[in-house]
Amino acid sequence: MPAPAAAPAKKTDDLAKRFGLAPTPESVLRLTQLVARREASAEDVAKIIAQDKGLAARLLRAANPRADTEEDYSCTTVEDALARIGMSWVLLLAMTDPLNRAVKNAFSTLFNLELNPMLAGTAVPFEEEHVRGEVTFSGRATGLVHIRMMPSTAATLAARLLGLSPAELDEAAVNDVIGELNNIVAGNFKSNLCDAGLDCKLAPPQITRTTEFELFRPDGNVAERCGFRGDDLDVFIDISVNPWTD
Amino acid sequence: MSKKILTVDDSKTIRMIIQRAFRAHDCTFSEAGNGEEGLAVAAGFRPDLIVLDITMPVMDGVTMLTKLRQDPVLKGTPVIMLTAESGRESVASIAALGISDYLVKPFKETELIEKAGKVIQLLPKAA
Repeated sequence: MPAPAAAPAKKTDDLAKRFGLAPTPESVLRLTQLVARREASAEDVAKIIAQDKGLAARLLRAANPRADTEEDYSCTTVEDALARIGMSWVLLLAMTDPLNRAVKNAFSTLFNLELNPMLAGTAVPFEEEHVRGEVTFSGRATGLVHIRMMPSTAATLAARLLGLSPAELDEAAVNDVIGELNNIVAGNFKSNLCDAGLDCKLAPPQITRTTEFELFRPDGNVAERCGFRGDDLDVFIDISVNPWTD
Repeated sequence: MSKKILTVDDSKTIRMIIQRAFRAHDCTFSEAGNGEEGLAVAAGFRPDLIVLDITMPVMDGVTMLTKLRQDPVLKGTPVIMLTAESGRESVASIAALGISDYLVKPFKETELIEKAGKVIQLLPKAA
């Protein structure tokens, strides 16, 4: 299908209001649009980041991956951090907040579960076979969204949504629920990419069982793993994206 | 008279949740797992409302909507998009094809009923 024609901003805002769509935070929109245009200067990007204390803090944390505390940072300014981690990372960092909100909202609405981001250093990697959902996207940006959880967690979530006991569910039913969850999370991320001017299209979800826990990070991609915890269950969301494929 | 609702979504779970949402109302359902199937089912079922996803294998929801609006018999069928995608320009281009409403997943069952109730007259199911 051909890419949709650009619509005037006013018209899209009116439609968003009419359909009750949640607005994208202004700082995220400005930043992602600037980075997506590719010719953005580090100064312009740094100015926007400096206005958002939370984003600046996360950027500095990302630029100092081995530091335990802020006192240990070797890179202490937004400009230096940008130079160290690169512009495409900024896009991912800016989208992490809306993504975290989307994950929390999906778990709350679908499963009536409160999920919160794992505290730094508390994530325990899956060593056994686990369920992995994958939704890829392609277009001006390419990449994928993985969702990972233990089989018992997947069965519990499916049972909650379908109103059945885990024992009543077969693997196909569990896969369908996790696939839909994966689609919802990837759909949110993809929508933010599109709003930044990076049109892309989602593929239907694929569910597998795997022991491979490594973050997928091919050349040219930036990737990040977000861990979530709630009611004794752990869920990981991996994002891998190349925002500049053209 | 019972309202006929066609749900088109590749997720069986979502199709089930939609039907569950309407349990208190007098509605008859038919379902399809992709746009191609959706068009075929719509031709025979003649729904009062279609609840349509976007990302599906074989034929996506936007292509199905485009073909539906070109069909002399089905072109006036109200459609509510129910999808995980909410990019502003994508919503605008879909709205231009003619939709009654747009609901982003995850959704509350009450939201769907509220939106559907603005498009078709929902009557309580007889006891």
